[in-house]
Amino acid sequence: MNKRIIFHIDVNSAYLSWEAVYRLQHGEKIDLREIPAVVGGDESKRHGIVLAKSIPAKRYKIKTGESLYSARQKCPNLTVVPPNYERYMKASNSMVDLLKEYSPLIQRYSVDEVFMDLSHIKDRPVLDVAYEIKERIKKELGFTVNIGISSNKLLAKMASDFKKPDRIHTLFPDEIQEKMWPLPVEKLFMVGSRTQKKLNGRGIFTIGQLAKLDREYIYSWLKKPGIMIWEYANGIENSQVRKDPDPVKSIGNSTTTSYDVDNRKEAHMFLLALSEMVAMRTRNIGKMGRVISVSIKDKDFYSCSHQKKLDVATDSTKVIYETARKLFDEIWDGKPIRRFAVSISEFCSNELYQLSLLKNYNQREEKLEKVIDAIRYKYGYNSIIRSCFLHSGIKPIIGGVTTEEEYPMMSSII
Amino acid sequence: MKILMKPIEIIAWFNSKEKPIPLKYRILDENNTYKVIKVDRVIFSQEEKLAGNRMILYRCESTISNFRVIYELKYEIDTCKWFLYKI
Repeated sequence: MNKRIIFHIDVNSAYLSWEAVYRLQHGEKIDLREIPAVVGGDESKRHGIVLAKSIPAKRYKIKTGESLYSARQKCPNLTVVPPNYERYMKASNSMVDLLKEYSPLIQRYSVDEVFMDLSHIKDRPVLDVAYEIKERIKKELGFTVNIGISSNKLLAKMASDFKKPDRIHTLFPDEIQEKMWPLPVEKLFMVGSRTQKKLNGRGIFTIGQLAKLDREYIYSWLKKPGIMIWEYANGIENSQVRKDPDPVKSIGNSTTTSYDVDNRKEAHMFLLALSEMVAMRTRNIGKMGRVISVSIKDKDFYSCSHQKKLDVATDSTKVIYETARKLFDEIWDGKPIRRFAVSISEFCSNELYQLSLLKNYNQREEKLEKVIDAIRYKYGYNSIIRSCFLHSGIKPIIGGVTTEEEYPMMSSII
Repeated sequence: MKILMKPIEIIAWFNSKEKPIPLKYRILDENNTYKVIKVDRVIFSQEEKLAGNRMILYRCESTISNFRVIYELKYEIDTCKWFLYKI
């Protein structure tokens, strides 16, 4: 087999760059990328966290995901701009359109990250192609990217993360020792804060130290996920650049409420609003799920979750909601809640439906849900709502930025 | 030229071949009265798609109070809005 050439293209501070370019195009004189600035959620709705930051903001040690309140304490003259997902999708699409001129094999890994297979390019050095792509994006679309080049997706992704912004890095297998092994272990893909703690606990601080461990040892200690990160540390990964998105494994929606919810009735309404979205999305992809789970976070940021496996798979709003409500009633201790989440998993196709001897099957309900979905897709989510939400101040359907197909989300599978 | 980015009301000509061509527009002046400006000449136009947002930039020439003035207009394709971009 010929050596593969994989590019990983990563937009530098995506949301913030896109916002900055859009504003410059509309006559704004200040470039958000050159001042301490962040894209942040709406604080009045308690969504006030940092979604993206400029490089000057990074110098104040502002981190993505921290609250705007603490970001402002670090940098009092911080500029905060609200997000606009539609705008970001447009920018992302324009980048993918440009990349399609170079390869048909493109995997949209998230809204701002793309994998691309360029193994077919033989007539010119791939580095030239990378520079051309980077410069064209900068000139035509106005934002900068990092490009990582290697022979597999994992190494390409690691490479694009090296030094930012507006740079190209290679990380071929013979460069692993020099470029990747000295990095702290938490820089490795799939090593989160918990794994980092475990590894650090046994004296493993760099990717190199992890790579040199005995395979059997890591398996006996961390099992299958351990083998995976050990292989990653050694640069072993051979998945293809997938044009089609991965099959969905679970669907979930969550919401941080704009006030603490302290009564059962309202809590149930939030669960219903989330169940509406989860069920609608499940039906939309032609699936049914068996495991329903609910998680809540109380006002002291303590969270807990609970799940249940149903006897038969479902895609019904009613069943999902009723299960979610039961699960919620089992775990709620009465403390005011700030965040709700409902999700469904263990999917199977919805073509055949397993009837249960113990439960009634109502074909009319299934039809009704289909009709409601059709009306909502055509005339908007709020065109038909449940009457209990009238004048309640609670949105009748909660969750999601837009529909899945339109907005690729991050994934733990590369 | 200075950036203004002021929304304007405009009459433009959409023909079957080219990009839309601005003919004349009006703008509120400091006394809050409309001033109509005829576009004498489009010097050049170019399409930009910064951050994926398509806009057409026109560099134009007009006679305003007996002076020849060069300025730029912008047309945002997605929203069908025109702006006096720079003057």
